[in-house]
This record gives sequence, structure tokens and C-alpha cells, in this order.
Amino acid sequence: MRKRKTKITFLDITLLILLLAAAIYVLHRIKVGLQYNWDWVSIPQYLIRYDEGSERWVTNILMQGLFTTIRLSFWSTVLATFIGTVIGLCRLSKGLFSRLIGRTYVELIRNLPPLVLIFIFYFFLTDQIMTSIGVDEFVKSRSENVQAFLTFFFASPPLFSAFLSALITLALFEGAYIAEIVRSGIQSIERGQWEASHALGLSWWQQMRYVVLPQATQRILPPLGGQFISTIKDSAIVSIISIQELTFQGMELMSATYLTFEVWITVTALYFILTMALSLSVERLEIYMRRSEG
Amino acid sequence: MMEIRRLCLKSMLLVSLLIGMAGPVFAGKIQQQLVKESALEVVLKRGALRVGMSTFVPWAMRDKTGKLIGFEIDVATRLANDLGVKVEFVPTKWDGIIPALLSGKFDVIIGGMGIRPDRNLKVNFSIPYDYTGMSLVAHKVLAADFRSLKDFNRPDVFIAARLGSTAVAAAKKFMPRAQLRMFDDESQAYQELLNGRVHAVVGSAPMPRFQAIKYPEKLFLPLKTDFTREPIGFAIRKGDFDTLNTLNNWIRVVEAEGWLRERKVYWFETKDWEDMLR
Repeated sequence: MRKRKTKITFLDITLLILLLAAAIYVLHRIKVGLQYNWDWVSIPQYLIRYDEGSERWVTNILMQGLFTTIRLSFWSTVLATFIGTVIGLCRLSKGLFSRLIGRTYVELIRNLPPLVLIFIFYFFLTDQIMTSIGVDEFVKSRSENVQAFLTFFFASPPLFSAFLSALITLALFEGAYIAEIVRSGIQSIERGQWEASHALGLSWWQQMRYVVLPQATQRILPPLGGQFISTIKDSAIVSIISIQELTFQGMELMSATYLTFEVWITVTALYFILTMALSLSVERLEIYMRRSEG
Repeated sequence: MMEIRRLCLKSMLLVSLLIGMAGPVFAGKIQQQLVKESALEVVLKRGALRVGMSTFVPWAMRDKTGKLIGFEIDVATRLANDLGVKVEFVPTKWDGIIPALLSGKFDVIIGGMGIRPDRNLKVNFSIPYDYTGMSLVAHKVLAADFRSLKDFNRPDVFIAARLGSTAVAAAKKFMPRAQLRMFDDESQAYQELLNGRVHAVVGSAPMPRFQAIKYPEKLFLPLKTDFTREPIGFAIRKGDFDTLNTLNNWIRVVEAEGWLRERKVYWFETKDWEDMLR
């Protein structure tokens, strides 16, 4: 890694000053033009508050919303990566049937707006399925320890089936994009690699497992990281089906307190912290993988 | 050919005979089935009443600690107590609350829902447990000399209201010529008014009055009274008369006790609860 010299030119300084002036002007307009009584003092208590009953600091609705967003994004990313890899391999398969399945799934999901998809999945598919397999009864009949475990990693029993539907919907949605990333990653590996490994007497699965996939993984990591960040951002859509994640909690808080802008700004900052952290760790991972390859 | 025809006829006769015999047996079974599948029975078996609601000051809102408070919350909690079950609130977006009820996300909507014929086509309503009215708060500069609904009924006037609420219907009915702008949440509608982009906001009382008190230098109440009166009821899924009967009679009981009136005064006419909010 070569260090680049940073040189600040006159043009840079002028641009910076202009941008700063523009920012100040916008802020000034907001302050003058917007009839709004700012009240930032009330905001911290919605993140974290001191509970007098138990004499401890506990999280309040915005933080709880953030945790739900993290849980939701995490599990749907895991599930979407699985779905995406399977479908991506399906699309490359020699069998017509697997290719048909892969193509249908990807095209169907990619060519529909996420909002519409989420409504359809929530009200028609997952809802009927969740009720028929009795998810609610299953969760309620578990022991207290299991319930606490489920609450920590997923959602509390009353909200469990809704959370699960949102998770599956989001995973199916993101899975289509990940499938395309996986497919293009594998297809980008040169023919020579396949031929060489074939000549070594490896089976199709061994060629995939030991030669193609390791190389493909490195190539697809940047777009995959982008897709993971997208998952976090897209999780805001499920607020329309009343999953109590960050956006939904923010809107609830706004309609209760009328602190519209303070809450939106706080919610924005929380999302940014989350996605930025993920962005930085993906970057780290890329550097690490490049190094380990030598 | 003749043979086959006769066979067909015979078997059809047999089938219709069987169905005819099964009829009276079914009727009894269906009744049992209905009782077993009524929301009430499901609630008792589950040990929890699931209530669909949406944040709407002072009907239902979150206090500083994240706990739900408000008039509807009191009503739902008392109802669950009287049924001997726990209460579980399912906060839901207002414009999707009826589909959510129909698809079984909760047992009943207790959310200040106005009884309206078009809604009644999709859900069943209990008898009213409360009445609300639409009121209007206006911008002091934009609507400076507006004094009646007629002043607002002009094509160059903008009115804001919450999407899917009865306020929209009221605005359309009383001010058909004004331009209506709809928002997901009431707070956004009021923000639009404070920013001076609409002339007035139509909303369920008492929020417009509270807003006028909060921003006396910008807002005022052009009408001294509410301009509509709407019955408010619990909404449940269609075809469930056991539950409907229970709810109706529960309302009659708590009304006779004076409990409903007392709660209503607390949430709508006093502002003692304001400290719990911020």
C-alpha cells in the first residue's frame, strides 16, 4: 500500500468555502423560514432513560426501535445470503428446471416495487402461512427461558409472528439481488480456472468449493457489502406493516410529541451510525482478504 | 348410453338426498362452530385481548417511559380486565388498520374509530362509547378574517388532514371547493400549517384546540364549536355476533357507571397528563 501525498490547492479551498457558505445559508433559512420551536432537550430521554422503579438506566423507544432494526437486518441478511447463494447457483445450473426457478424468482422480485411486495407478502402469504403453522401458539407455549431467548434475538412473543413475516419478506426481497451478485461473481471467474481444475480431476462440486467460490467471494464482497447496507436501509419500509423498528417508532413518537424535526434528525443519525459502521467493517474485510491472498 | 344416463340421474338423486338429510345436522354444528371461532372465545383461550390502535393525541400515545397512555388505552385496559384477560396493544398505521384487523393481526380496533357507513361495509361496529367532533384550527395570517366554514370553501384555500381519517370526509363535505392535502400523521399536517403552507387543519377535537393554545401567536380557532358530531365505536370482524354483543353490553355497563364520562373528562378537558408526555 503506497501512501498518497495530499496536496491542498487553491481550488479546493474555494470549493470548501462555497460549500460551507451554502450550508450556513440553508441552516439560516431553516431557522428563519421555518416556524418551529426547537426542543432538543426532550430527545435524549427517548433514547435512554433512568427507571426509578428498578433504579437502572434502560433503553427507551428509539433505542428499542434501533435494536429491532439491527435484529431484523441481521437475520434477513443471513437468510437472504442463503437464498441468494442457492438461487445464484440455480441460475448457473445445467438443469432447465433449476434455471427456470432461479430466473422466475429473480425477475419477479426485481421487477416489482418493494412497497407492493411487502404488502402482498404480509397480508396474503406470510400471514396465512404463519397462522396455519401456528407460530404464535408455538412461541406462547415455550418455557420462560426460551421466550426470553427469542425476545432477545428476535422479538417479544406478541410481536413474534409479525416480526417473522417482515424478516422473511425482507430476506426474499434482498435475496433476489444477492442471487444476481453471486451469479455474476461466479460467471466472472475465467474459463481457464474451471478447465484447469477439471483437468486435475475435481468434481463439479469440488471445482466450485475449492477453486471458483474462493475467488468469486473476493470479487463479490464489495457489491455484497453494498447490498447488506441496503438491507438496513430497506428495513425502514417494513414500518408500513407496523413492525416496531426505528422508523415506525420514530413516527409514533412524532405523532405523540409533535417533535417532528428533532425525531427525524435523530433517526437519521442512528441509521447513519449503523450503516457507516457496517460500511467500514466491509472495507476492513476487503483489505484483510486482499492481504491474506498475498 | 341410456344406461349411463340413468346411473347419473340415480347418483345425483342419492347425493341430493344425502345433502338434504345432512342439512339439519349441519345447522347445529355450524352454531357450535361459530361460538368456537368467535373472537371472544379465542381471546379467552389465549388469555390476552389483542387491540389494534394508532397514536393519536390524546386517544393513545406514548409517555416518557415508552408506555402507552390515553383515553383508548384506559378503555381497552378496563375492557380486558373485565373480561379477565391481559391486554396486548398492537400499534398499527392508521391507513392500514382495517386490513390488519381483517387479516387477524388483532381482535378489535379500539382507536377512536368513527362509525361510518363505508367502513361498516368492511367491519362491524359496537354501539358508540364516545362521540367526537371535527374542529378546525387556522393560520392567523393566511386565514386572517376567516370566520365561518364558508370562508374556507374557496378553490384557493388549502386544508390539511390526516390520511384515511374522518377529518378528510368532513373536509370534503363541508369545504368541497377547498384543496385538500393529506398526511400520514397529524403532526405533519400541523407542521404544514405552522409553516404557512396550508390555511387550516381539520382534525378530531380536542387536538386543534390544543394546538391553538400551544401556538397562540400563529394559530387561532375560527369556529367556536366543533362542526361535526361523530359516534366512536369498537371495530371487529364481520359475522361475529357473540363478541359484538359482549362489547355492546360492556359499553352500556361502564357508561351507566359514569366511568366513561370520567375518563373522557380527564383526557379531553384537563391537561393533567401533559407532564407524562415530555
